[in-house]
Amino acid sequence: MSTSTTVRVNGKTAPATGSGVMPQVLPPTFWVDGNPTFRQITDDIAQPMEGRPGKGWWICFGIAFLALLNLGGMVTYLIAKGIGVWGLNNSVGWAFDITNFVFWVGIGHAGTLISAILLLFRQQWRTSINRSAEAMTIFAVMCAGLFPAIHMGRPWDAFFIFPYFPNQRGPLWVNFRSPLVWDVFAISTYLTISLVFWYLGMVPDLATLRDRATGKIKKFIFGTLSLGWNGSHRTWARYEIVSLVLAGLATPLVLSVHSIVSMDFATSLLPGWHTTIFPPYFVAGAIYSGFGMVLTLLIITRSTMNLQRYITLRHLDKMAKVTMLTGMIVSYAYLTEFFGAWYGGNLYERYHFINRATGPYAWCFYLMVLCNVITPQLLWTRKARTSVVFLFIVSIMVNIGMWFERFVIIVVSLHRAFLPSGWGMFYPTIVDVGVLVGSFGLFFTCFLLFIRVLPMIAMWEIKGVMGHGAHKMALSADDPEKVTVNV
Amino acid sequence: MSPCKSPKESLVQIGAPAAPAYWKSVDELQSGVKQTGEFPGGLPAGGRGEATRRDFLALMGFSLAAAGLSGCRAPVQHAMPLLIGSEQIIPGVANFYATTCRGCASSCSLLVKQRDGRPIKIEGNAQSAIFGGGTCATGQATVLSLYDDERLRSPLWQGQTAKWEEIDRHVAEALQEAAGGKREIVLLSGTVTSPSTRAIIAEWHARYPRFRHVEYDAVSLSAIRTANESSFGHAVVPHYSFDKARVIVGLEADFLGTWLSPVEFARQYAANRKPEGSPSLHVQFESGMSVTGSNADVRVAVPPSQIGLVAVALLHRIARKAGTGEVPESGSAVDAKKLDAVADELWKHRGESLVVSGVNDVHVQTVVNALNAALGNIGKTVDLAHPSLQRSVNDQSMAELVDKMNRGEVHTLMLHGVNPAYDYHQADQFSAGLKKTALVVSLSDRRDETSSQAHAICPDHHFLEAWGDAEPVESHFSLAQPLIAPLFETRSAQESMLKWLAHDETDYYKYLRAFWQKDLFPRQKEIKSFDDFWDQSLQSGVVDLPAKTAAAVLPKFHGDVKAAADSIMAGSAQAHTGGDSYEVHFYESVPLRDGRHANNPWLLELPDPVTKVTWGNYAAVAPALLKKLGMSDGDVRRLKTESGQLELPVFTQPGQDPHTVSVALGYGRRQVGRAGQNVGVNAFPLTHQEQGGRRYSVAKVALEKTGRSEKLATTQTHFSMEGRPIVLETTLEELNHEPAESHEALPTLWEDRLHGEHAWGMAVDMNSCTGCSACVVACQAENNVPVVGKDQIERIRIMHWIRIDRYYSGPEEDPVSVHQPMMCQHCQNAPCETVCPVVATTTSSEGLNQQVYNRCIGTRYCANNCPYKVRRFNWYNYTDNPKFDFNMESPLGRMVLNPDVVVRSRGVMEKCSLCVQRIQLAKNMALQGGRQIADGEIQTACQQSCPTQAIVFGDLKDPNSRVSQLQRNRRSYQVLEDLGTRPNVGYLKKVRNPLETT
Repeated sequence: MSTSTTVRVNGKTAPATGSGVMPQVLPPTFWVDGNPTFRQITDDIAQPMEGRPGKGWWICFGIAFLALLNLGGMVTYLIAKGIGVWGLNNSVGWAFDITNFVFWVGIGHAGTLISAILLLFRQQWRTSINRSAEAMTIFAVMCAGLFPAIHMGRPWDAFFIFPYFPNQRGPLWVNFRSPLVWDVFAISTYLTISLVFWYLGMVPDLATLRDRATGKIKKFIFGTLSLGWNGSHRTWARYEIVSLVLAGLATPLVLSVHSIVSMDFATSLLPGWHTTIFPPYFVAGAIYSGFGMVLTLLIITRSTMNLQRYITLRHLDKMAKVTMLTGMIVSYAYLTEFFGAWYGGNLYERYHFINRATGPYAWCFYLMVLCNVITPQLLWTRKARTSVVFLFIVSIMVNIGMWFERFVIIVVSLHRAFLPSGWGMFYPTIVDVGVLVGSFGLFFTCFLLFIRVLPMIAMWEIKGVMGHGAHKMALSADDPEKVTVNV
Repeated sequence: MSPCKSPKESLVQIGAPAAPAYWKSVDELQSGVKQTGEFPGGLPAGGRGEATRRDFLALMGFSLAAAGLSGCRAPVQHAMPLLIGSEQIIPGVANFYATTCRGCASSCSLLVKQRDGRPIKIEGNAQSAIFGGGTCATGQATVLSLYDDERLRSPLWQGQTAKWEEIDRHVAEALQEAAGGKREIVLLSGTVTSPSTRAIIAEWHARYPRFRHVEYDAVSLSAIRTANESSFGHAVVPHYSFDKARVIVGLEADFLGTWLSPVEFARQYAANRKPEGSPSLHVQFESGMSVTGSNADVRVAVPPSQIGLVAVALLHRIARKAGTGEVPESGSAVDAKKLDAVADELWKHRGESLVVSGVNDVHVQTVVNALNAALGNIGKTVDLAHPSLQRSVNDQSMAELVDKMNRGEVHTLMLHGVNPAYDYHQADQFSAGLKKTALVVSLSDRRDETSSQAHAICPDHHFLEAWGDAEPVESHFSLAQPLIAPLFETRSAQESMLKWLAHDETDYYKYLRAFWQKDLFPRQKEIKSFDDFWDQSLQSGVVDLPAKTAAAVLPKFHGDVKAAADSIMAGSAQAHTGGDSYEVHFYESVPLRDGRHANNPWLLELPDPVTKVTWGNYAAVAPALLKKLGMSDGDVRRLKTESGQLELPVFTQPGQDPHTVSVALGYGRRQVGRAGQNVGVNAFPLTHQEQGGRRYSVAKVALEKTGRSEKLATTQTHFSMEGRPIVLETTLEELNHEPAESHEALPTLWEDRLHGEHAWGMAVDMNSCTGCSACVVACQAENNVPVVGKDQIERIRIMHWIRIDRYYSGPEEDPVSVHQPMMCQHCQNAPCETVCPVVATTTSSEGLNQQVYNRCIGTRYCANNCPYKVRRFNWYNYTDNPKFDFNMESPLGRMVLNPDVVVRSRGVMEKCSLCVQRIQLAKNMALQGGRQIADGEIQTACQQSCPTQAIVFGDLKDPNSRVSQLQRNRRSYQVLEDLGTRPNVGYLKKVRNPLETT
């Protein structure tokens, strides 16, 4: 590097060189460090699939797989013995099960948001992270789907909740008034669209892999999966349109899924559940937790898979900003809930919120406040947003906080409802904890396998945002806001 | 035309003469040649139709063998299909037989439901003038004791299974030996209320001069008899009339829960407290919070040593008013103003008041007698002429017996319905005495603490297998008939006693009949034939005969009040506690009473009506004491008295006297059976005998730390209503001055759901409910509600479909309590219904909220959304599951199940159905009879069992039905009405009648 001039990309004025005239166009932000060639990008991203996995991957996979085995054991035990092996009781009919369900559905939100909404808003930074975020979505929704099935007293009759006709039970339908049925529709739709979106987004990359494949089997698999992609202009043109249409279809789902999940609570009459602000509040919370989980995953993978070049600090910075914003929406919702309880004057609701802050589960509430209200406030400084270690801790806090948010909403509302004679405490059992841990095992096992067998970064999209001038630029990895221009 | 064959062709009519032509093969059908004969086409063996020599030999061999084998066939057993059944047993149709409860000595009259030859449900006999249709929790649960696995299946001799003849021989030998010697033959039994059994005992007296009958009750009322003897010259327990009393003062007498005849008293009490009339005033002085105390208008907590002082203080005031005699002021710690006010009320209602005391102290009872006498209650609310025969024990005779046994003066001891090795305060001495007795025969139904030390156990029938009679109150008789043939090789106690007496008549049924013919039949004039009299008596179960003696002269009180008062004051001063020394009060708990039903899982799981604790006893302490000693619920403390010690977990009891610890008796059985063994701690050893009476309180007790802590299985943990509209209360004055409220329901957007012919609903009168919990067990029996055990109760997984919520208000040292039966409210706008994803819960056109078990997948969403928290989830399989080793695990225990109610499997939700099976039955009966269902024809199990008739079920569409009238009552309201759930179950406000102190 010879002479270099510093340009503030996001700065209001000040062009780097000379004349004092406002530049017509700000230099573009570049989302890949080190100015790799297209060939190098393909090599870098295909490397985890083609090489042998490193020690780090094996350790992570070993732990995740053990947790998955534990899930299998726990669920078998649960189904063999009955729901009684959980700590649930007549007062608290839902606890870890539905908490985990809502938690995982929430995690599943970031993927579609990143790929659909950010696509529509032409946010180019999404290109490095959308593939893994979508994969995360699918695995998270799988984890989420597990819980409604196993939380049933008679899981072997779980198919009763699907509308099927004609059936042997005569004109017997599901109860369309029940939010649990809406959940079935919302989540299955979401899973379907997410899967399609994820898969279609991968087709050009699969074709690349097909072309690179050496073995016969690999060639066959990738060849089949890439649906005969030929990379012609016509293909690309149609592909772009399909992507846009799918993005348009997926966008309302981002908002609908968690809105409907929130109606499990909002349409009930239980104080703490029965509140109209739940849909937006849950959506914000879902995006917040989703971004938290994306951060966690990408921070791990970028270092274990040597992808720092593609998932840069600037990406982390962007994600931290979304996290902060949604965290603040969530905090506002918390405040609104308390305000509503006080201002609304409903005896039961007022008691519920006093109990939330001072009752036996107050520690959960304060942990939630610490993680979801205070922690995002630490992201105001750029230094914080670009410190990998700090962001990792924050992302873990977000995950913990959002799990506890659901726990607080579900358990604290149930444990002291209308009749004080029916009040009681919930204490988790080893099976409760085991299933929760096991669901993480399922999630991480799937994710770790995913990064080994499929391209975890959308190669074609990255190449698309590199731009022609990119070859001329070397990007500083130190300061995402500063771009060093080679002269 | 239809391709089907004509009906004639296709149907083969059985017995129709013209059978269609059958063909045997296609050839036959096509050729039309009918092949006949046994072997069409000839025998396969011969070929040419000729038998070879080989064939001949084979056939010969077969014939010989067949001829020989026919001689050794198995015996023919003809199974016969039921064409014409028994006249009495129609499968699927229940019969009801009147009988008499032997769950305790109260001897309530019962009507027992028998289905397919099995008794499955206890109900009260509404024809009884004394007890009415109600029962108590214990009575309801006795049916389960019939199917107890722990019952002995045959008699035992020296612990080994024996034949009855063998035991009879041993007993006969022993009796012969005893008759020749100087040692006594003793029958030790509980109070005997059966007149025919008393007659048998009289025959023993006549036969053996050295025969003695000693009666012994673990919880005794002997002081009442002794005091009445000295006060009035009658050694009896009077028959009390709470219904005639305008003012009731209870002194440590839990007459609504356990004392003397709780079913009868609860009925009388509630009848007298209807706010529509002029309700009585009830003042209760007691140390621990009893069911009775929790219902009192005024409740004053006093330590046991002060109860006598309160009686003296009241007498002091009454005597002053009456101007008779001088009774010293006792100086009790109770606020003098309160005592003045109580005395004023008593005096105002002379002849219409009642003072009762459960303290087993002759002096206290003498003062109580003086009070009732001074108030003119004798002959009005206290009937000495027709006394209660439900307790006829003299504690002194038991003490004498134990002494005699230890001196070796008893040769043969027969034990019937007693368990002194468990419940006598000097159980060790009793057991030592047993060893010095030549023959000990127990008639116990199981190996228990006492019978396991006996030489022979001759198991008595369960009362549902036995004939019998009872006379709970003089001249009021109740008959008992068997509902099932004895399940095991047991023999009724009376038959054993007749056999051992070598009586001419050893069949107790015949003896009983003869006894009734000789002794009771002549006392009435209406029925001429004894057979008619017997049949009628047996059918109705109850007979009220004219009194033997006319009560012309009212007995005059001649007790020594001065001496009694002095003794009380001296005793109280001696017991005076201070510092770290406390008093302990022992009481019978509603679920377990004196411990005889300790192996009954229904009772073990029944929450105590006041504390809501199940499966164990505890030391109830005042909240102030808890704080003072820095304890928390469940901390185990050692209660140390001069005579022994107990280790019990403490439990906070609002309203408990701060110097007194209350401990329930009846727990801590060592030998009773799997369910009840070692549940809780036995407190009987800490009781003692003083001045000829068993005392159930002890002073100068230290509460030592143990450092241990135990979990108590409570079913309700929060006792404040938090200002919510759950139990609504009013005072009598408010109610009388307020105009009748018009009930305007909240608007609803939902269509009217009740388009059926009926609209089933319920009204629960909070003013009548005493919290006795009979309904809880009744519901459990009727609806096959499983028992889940202590561990599951700790996890808040009790299955009871009806529970009784108990709330306190006011200061914790002197709280006001209410009992609220809570079951599914059968909402018209049911929150459970909308949220179920599979429509497993629906509202019927007749207003019932129905649970469809087959459809339920167990999401528990309905339970979460139920504001009343009445839904119960099957967390496990509670039947046929070794983890839940209660009645539903054993084939014998399952015999109690109601075949009309499905047993729920794991993973489904369940709840109160308003006894839909009873509704359906009544509808079918009405349909068959071509008539309308009459109001009151359907009684839910809870309603039926309620001694106070606090629960009324009926058709809300009928404006004249009782339930409609009650729901229109100005006291009527619905729980959490503001939620808009529109329950079909309504409640009637509790009305308080506060005592005005000036």
